[in-house]
Amino acid sequence: MEEFVLLTLGWAGLYAPTALGAIGSILGCTRAGQAACGAMLEIESGYGRYVGVSALPSSQTIYGIVVMFTLNAREVTTESAPGLLAIGVMSGVALMMSAIMQGACCASAINVSKSKPEVFGLSIAPAAIVEGFAVFAFVFALVVSAGIPGLPQ
Amino acid sequence: MARSNSYYTLVASLPAMPRYFEVERVPIAQPRLEKRLQMLKSQDAEVVEQLRAFLLWDRQPWDRTDEEVVSHYDELMSTTRNRLARHIVAFQMDIRTIISGLRRRRRGLPPPPGVGQWTDHIRKNWEDPQFGLRWQHPWIAEVDQLLDTTDCLRVERIKLGVTWNHLTRLAERYFFSFEVVLLYLARWEIIRRWTSRDAVLGRQRFEQLVTESLDEYANLYE
Repeated sequence: MEEFVLLTLGWAGLYAPTALGAIGSILGCTRAGQAACGAMLEIESGYGRYVGVSALPSSQTIYGIVVMFTLNAREVTTESAPGLLAIGVMSGVALMMSAIMQGACCASAINVSKSKPEVFGLSIAPAAIVEGFAVFAFVFALVVSAGIPGLPQ
Repeated sequence: MARSNSYYTLVASLPAMPRYFEVERVPIAQPRLEKRLQMLKSQDAEVVEQLRAFLLWDRQPWDRTDEEVVSHYDELMSTTRNRLARHIVAFQMDIRTIISGLRRRRRGLPPPPGVGQWTDHIRKNWEDPQFGLRWQHPWIAEVDQLLDTTDCLRVERIKLGVTWNHLTRLAERYFFSFEVVLLYLARWEIIRRWTSRDAVLGRQRFEQLVTESLDEYANLYE
């Protein structure tokens, strides 16, 4: 029974970066996308850049997929399961939160630049900073995952 | 307080509020605003209607007694679910109660029956020139002086300015929530009031009030 639970948690950890990253991207892109649609009611041109900005929180799903493939290189065993769970869930939560918050940053950027187009570039800076934290979580998940046992020799 | 609804599309579709209310025109015309407000969920639309009904003081019957105003206020406060909507109403009523107190004191009348958090405080500090509210409402001294003059416009400007600044400060706390919509509407109403000041309309309104107050005697000499 204990082995079954451990293996289940290991598999959950393996898929967590993708699932949690995707949840974050869904929420982030939805919020930013809704703001972009609202802004389109007020502006006469430049719709494309708003749609582009609203897609920024999708990168977290890609980072999650890469982390998942990296973790998937090893077999899920009772030895590797705790490491898979810890790294998978922690990196997944970080990616999810960054995507949600990045969506809020993008929505604010769209809302502000709608009435003041000259600040469009600068208004995206907060979203870029949030993206930076997602990259940290992603890179260090890859680095730390090298220590999880079970990699094929 | 229940978690607020998010209105990303609606908030982003509203033009930015100006820094000050003393502008030439409202940022969005009323028909357009009404159309945008159709995005609200039904329970939020209800709160908006309650708030707007309160804010439209001009439409209130002129002969409403103080007791009726108090009863209307109490009913509004007990039926409005949103805490911010209640706060907006209470803040405006506080200002009205204070100005009412200043006017009544000038005429040698007792303190107003008023509503809101300062009513008892005003009663206790009736002899104090600023009702002991100089820190909470520093504008009282200026308005008190202006009541000696006939500069009603300046009194109105101060009254609207105090409310505007308070609402603007509140708006900085919220992002894309229903509260943003409420604060937008309250400030939109201030601009509408300011931009609709008009000598001709004022005369018409005055004549309408006189006619209503004279009732069947209105056309006695015609």
